Amino acid sequence: MTTALILLLLAVGAYLVAVIEAWTTSGRWRLTAPITAGIALLGRESIVPRKSDRVFFEVAPVLLLISALIAATVLPLTPDLIITDLATGALFINAALVYVLVALLMAGWGPDGAYAMIGGWRFLGQLIAYAMLIVMPVTAVAMRAESLLTTQIVASQADLWNILYQPLGFVLFFVAAMALAFLPPFDLTTANSELAGGVEAEYSGVRLAVFRLGRLVLVITLATTTVVFYLGGWQGPWLPPWAWSAIKILAVTALMLLAGRALPRIREADLLNLCWKLGIPLALLNIFVVGLLILVWP
Amino acid sequence: MISVQLFFISFFGLAAVWFAVVVFRTHSMMRSALALLFSQTALGAMFIGMQAEFLGVLQIMMMATEMSIMAIFMVMFMMDPGGLGKMDMTHQKRLSVIAGLVAFVAVVVVAVFADWGPLASSVPDAAQQIEDLGLELLGRSMLIFETAGLTILTAMIAATAVAVEPIKRNRD
Amino acid sequence: MTPELFPALITGAALFGIGIYGALSQTNLVMLLMGVELILAGAMVNLVAFWHHLHPDTPAGQMFVLIVMTVMAVEMAVGFGVAIARFRAIGSVEMEEAAELKG
Repeated sequence: MTTALILLLLAVGAYLVAVIEAWTTSGRWRLTAPITAGIALLGRESIVPRKSDRVFFEVAPVLLLISALIAATVLPLTPDLIITDLATGALFINAALVYVLVALLMAGWGPDGAYAMIGGWRFLGQLIAYAMLIVMPVTAVAMRAESLLTTQIVASQADLWNILYQPLGFVLFFVAAMALAFLPPFDLTTANSELAGGVEAEYSGVRLAVFRLGRLVLVITLATTTVVFYLGGWQGPWLPPWAWSAIKILAVTALMLLAGRALPRIREADLLNLCWKLGIPLALLNIFVVGLLILVWP
Repeated sequence: MISVQLFFISFFGLAAVWFAVVVFRTHSMMRSALALLFSQTALGAMFIGMQAEFLGVLQIMMMATEMSIMAIFMVMFMMDPGGLGKMDMTHQKRLSVIAGLVAFVAVVVVAVFADWGPLASSVPDAAQQIEDLGLELLGRSMLIFETAGLTILTAMIAATAVAVEPIKRNRD
Repeated sequence: MTPELFPALITGAALFGIGIYGALSQTNLVMLLMGVELILAGAMVNLVAFWHHLHPDTPAGQMFVLIVMTVMAVEMAVGFGVAIARFRAIGSVEMEEAAELKG
């Protein structure tokens, strides 16, 4: 029952995220945009490359969708709406989201095409950049909560949300989450103007619909993770918990989708430089500062 | 009669061994690397089935990253990454098969016929395990942990130093 | 004979055997490293089985598995560094051509 409810909420959320994404790219609010795009995609012909690696080609979009869904099973939307409250919840999210990389590598290698392959390997370069920046702020969050249970992490923010307690961690996690979901400006993997669509280039029809759906669910999962770790989950003054969750998740998603419109696409070398020379020292500083605050503040 | 736990451990064990066989039987290098990845994931699932939840999640996470990096190194260094040429890349065939079989039989014999002592009755739950592991890491095994950290740092610096391209100095 | 341990221990034995086969038979360095990974994975499965069935109260068992995972990662990193250096010097990482010290 809980599982069905959460999947339904994820589907509604994915629909709203698709509407928001259509708004950020075209500037108009069209509530039927996802339905028309979906029908168009499903109706188009499914072109399969001639000498593709069939196993990889078929599995990749499904694995992307599944890994995002599995990551969402440990996230609490309200105090009792969580599919499984694993004791290692905060680490499990990261473990599930690494399979996004595996899915994109398969999608890159499978179609036996140059653009797809370059897109796939570029995402591996991005992973080397963002992997540490995802885990280190989560360490600081778990330090404050003294547990890896996601419900406990939300409960520990009852008096002060983590975004005010650890603002540096929030910025780093937000940037790393955008890089994980290959949103602009970190979207060299599926760059429209440069790589002819990159990893998405060889997919068409049903498989492209599943790929795009997987990416939408990934964006929602990452927004929910940001809300649970940094924005206090379901806590808020007047509205019921589920309303606060929904508002916060949609706000974070809109922020993620809008943030890319202002910045140019970042090259892999610059991203790696930035993340390893600037990001990781800042993440370590964040852990140090949070440790001091926890020990000093009662 | 067979408990659910035993069934899952056996299932994931079979999956791990099957993927490990695929690693060396397939001709495509990319499939080889990803088969190793899924073998390690099955192992991580076995760990979770044996109620070592932290280790299982850690194994799944780390091995996915490591095997993906191995995949790109395979594509860089191997002659036929797609596997369409069906080259034979083995040597010492008889010796290695015999050595593998001898090792397998020896370990199975020890595993089956040794007396492992009394079985334990209950396992602490996962949150308690994580807390105990943390206290152990920073308490009794602090020296081991610090040595491991220093070793990782040395290995990182050494690997980077070995892999960096030597600077060509102009002699004029 | 403790049958509860059998699935995990036999899996460990199988992975160990396949790993030794791989480490001895492959001519390319990367495939050889994969064989070594399988050997260490077999050892880890045995460790977790022993921890779970015989000494679940001692976290030192899990500590050992963490150290083995660390060793796997470190050995892979150094191995690939050596592979890059060799590839630059010779042009391939085949074991058949590595029989002499020169070059």
